[in-house]
Amino acid sequence: MSNVLVVEELSKSFPGVKALDKVNITLRAGEVQALLGENGAGKSTLIKILTGVYQTAEGQVILNGSPVSFDSPLAATKAGIGVVHQERNLIPYFSVAENIVLQEQPSRFGLIDVRKRNEKARKALDSLGLTIDPDEIVQNLSVAQMQLVEIAKALATETRVLLLDEPTASISGSEATKLFSVVAKLREQGTAVLFVSHKLEEVFEVCDTVTVLRDGESVIESSPLADYSRSEIVAAMVGRTLADRAKRFRDVEPGEPALELRNVSTVLGHEDVSLSLLKGEVLGLYGLVGAGRSELVRSVLGLHSILSGQILLNGQVVKIGDVREALHRYRIGYVTENRKEEGLFLEFTINRNIAVTVWRKLQAWLGVVSHKKETEVSERFVESLGIRISSVNQLAGNLSGGNQQKVSLAKWLAAETEIIVIDEPTVGIDVRTKANFHELIMDLADQGMAVLLISSDLPEMVSIADRIMVMRDYQFVGEFANSKDYAEMSTQVMEAIQTGSKRTAAA
Amino acid sequence: MKFITKYLRTTEFSLSLLFVLGFISLALTSGGVLLSGQSIRSFLAYLAIPILIGLAQMVVLAVGQLNLAVGAMGGATAAVMAQMMIVWETPIWVAMLSGLFVATLMGAVNGFLVVSTGLNGFIITLGTLTILEGVQYALVRSFTLNAYPDAVKDFGKIDFFNIPSIFIVAIITAVIVAWFFRTNVVARRVLATGANPLAARLSGVSNPLSIFLAHTLSGALIGVAAIVTITSLGGINRSIGGDWLLSSFAAPIIAGVLMSGGVVAVYGTVMAAAVIRLVDIARAQYSLDPSVVNFTIGTVVLSTVALSEWRRRRAEVIRQRFSEDSDE
Repeated sequence: MSNVLVVEELSKSFPGVKALDKVNITLRAGEVQALLGENGAGKSTLIKILTGVYQTAEGQVILNGSPVSFDSPLAATKAGIGVVHQERNLIPYFSVAENIVLQEQPSRFGLIDVRKRNEKARKALDSLGLTIDPDEIVQNLSVAQMQLVEIAKALATETRVLLLDEPTASISGSEATKLFSVVAKLREQGTAVLFVSHKLEEVFEVCDTVTVLRDGESVIESSPLADYSRSEIVAAMVGRTLADRAKRFRDVEPGEPALELRNVSTVLGHEDVSLSLLKGEVLGLYGLVGAGRSELVRSVLGLHSILSGQILLNGQVVKIGDVREALHRYRIGYVTENRKEEGLFLEFTINRNIAVTVWRKLQAWLGVVSHKKETEVSERFVESLGIRISSVNQLAGNLSGGNQQKVSLAKWLAAETEIIVIDEPTVGIDVRTKANFHELIMDLADQGMAVLLISSDLPEMVSIADRIMVMRDYQFVGEFANSKDYAEMSTQVMEAIQTGSKRTAAA
Repeated sequence: MKFITKYLRTTEFSLSLLFVLGFISLALTSGGVLLSGQSIRSFLAYLAIPILIGLAQMVVLAVGQLNLAVGAMGGATAAVMAQMMIVWETPIWVAMLSGLFVATLMGAVNGFLVVSTGLNGFIITLGTLTILEGVQYALVRSFTLNAYPDAVKDFGKIDFFNIPSIFIVAIITAVIVAWFFRTNVVARRVLATGANPLAARLSGVSNPLSIFLAHTLSGALIGVAAIVTITSLGGINRSIGGDWLLSSFAAPIIAGVLMSGGVVAVYGTVMAAAVIRLVDIARAQYSLDPSVVNFTIGTVVLSTVALSEWRRRRAEVIRQRFSEDSDE
């Protein structure tokens, strides 16, 4: 088989972070290669370079024997690299055929040639063995069908290399099987496929070879998948570097339950989920991306409906209508995963970003909030969290990622919440700030706060959580007391993720 | 020193400078006529409405929405007040307070409709615009209502050392709005909603309430504008409010209030309204065609928007360069 795509010593830096460090990949015609790695390992950066979203990088990308560099996503498509993203990229009001030929509408005398268009679409669908009606409007399709249409669309242009970015993230098991048969068909036809996924089972089911990225480096480079066991792959993804850090054991005895969920089912798909978060403990919710952890917390906060089950706060059954109630009445804080989109007001000063949760408390006559009182509050937390800034009147948007994250934590501490949920706190943050942040989280628990930590970073989990609950497919599939021994914990957790299913829930 | 250079770069400063230079050059070329008591009086008197409706638009822009019904709300409110005094012979103060109330209510209805339907303010206020124009016409027909007490019309003629009463009303209103946005907890929540609705919601701010309040406040400001109108004109006809829309947008947008929300600039809006007045004066002074004014204002608004968009993108680029994140 001939090499279709070769990536040689590819590096890409962002200020403060080396996103890719001399990555090597070889992809041959008719090969399905898995691209694995944890959040922040560099997968998205690699895909963005291959699809022309990022134009500058060191190293080489060789397509069909000649070096290429794309100055736009369109250039990448024209060169024969097709991509199916996680997010749908179809136009919902157009028909299947119109979407498939979107990039190259067949036309005659400047008018769209409908007959030819349908022919072309039909051909693309047939080649994948799909029976979807080309005249159907896309928004009437199921998510899985849309995914398949996207593949057909990617193949409508002369595609040599197809990048599938987590194609099964939002479709069911049987639909995934259909997708895999399409992938098998592509392999027969000689298309080279790069398959990005977080689900190891399906990787072992459909892929021939594997590349693993960790901290921007390719730790496994296009090797046959048969040479590895699951645990070897996981070990390669997770690494040991961070886990070997000095362990800190907390000697505080956790107290009474602060938050309890009893058989909670949500509109998003959680069924009979139960957990108990104690005062003074860090409870970790581990799982791969899309396991349903943030969604569970958001449902508890009233952002999504809860269908059945009970929520108890300090032993009392409560109904939380919205985030406002969660904050002011029940003292629950939520440090969101996307600090820029959901956590901060980038155009506001640090002062206001921290004080937003306590304006209600600071207000005097006629609802006046004095700048001085705001500053008192925010400066206290700037100091205690070690936020490095010159003034609290700086705009939040101008801070580094680590400092931004601390500001979005500070606003909940200012509100004196008793329970705090911290969602993926250290994604995109440098190692030193990360360690600092871990200390902070443990300090909070020492002070008696109940901390619910959501993280996909296993070393992080093992180094700071007291207990780890593992979620998969919106269910808990395991619960472990954390011995802080990385080898032991990672084996247990990974086993739960791989073998756990809805029926054999251990929690 | 750093504070001063920072101030020199603000839109407020540029506008103040532009105003001073423009005023001086117009005063010089008019041979000093512009500096006479009569000219100053009329300059300031005609500034009251643009300031008030600029602020009314600004508070809705603060939550990232638009109020297209500014003029129709003002016109209908003025017609209501006039008819109350003519038909029911209500006391002046009752009519004025009712006008303020009616306009505030119109704003509240806009806000309620936006929040309850989930549609953008653009659509809703386009609807209320049309309805209220109908209301205004029904109340006024093709007449000019002027049979209300002279005391009302006289108020607009009062001045203190050549500063007209209605201008003072507009400035007091602006000061209250500025104070409100600088210090008030409700105003901050309104701005938080405009700046980032997702973050606002997750910080315990009620976005629907913010949007409702912004439209209601806009209505109240239009009420003040309607009162100023009825006290400064000889009568109310169906064209009142018809030319408010462009200038209501022009002032805040030139002042740098973002269309995406989260920002207010009260002083800037006042200064921008003053600069626009200068364009009017220049037209009168040099006997230019009236279309020149709209042409100039339209051009300035477009270039301001383009400039602020460019600034925003540049800030974004600089921000990315200095933050330590990759976008993994």
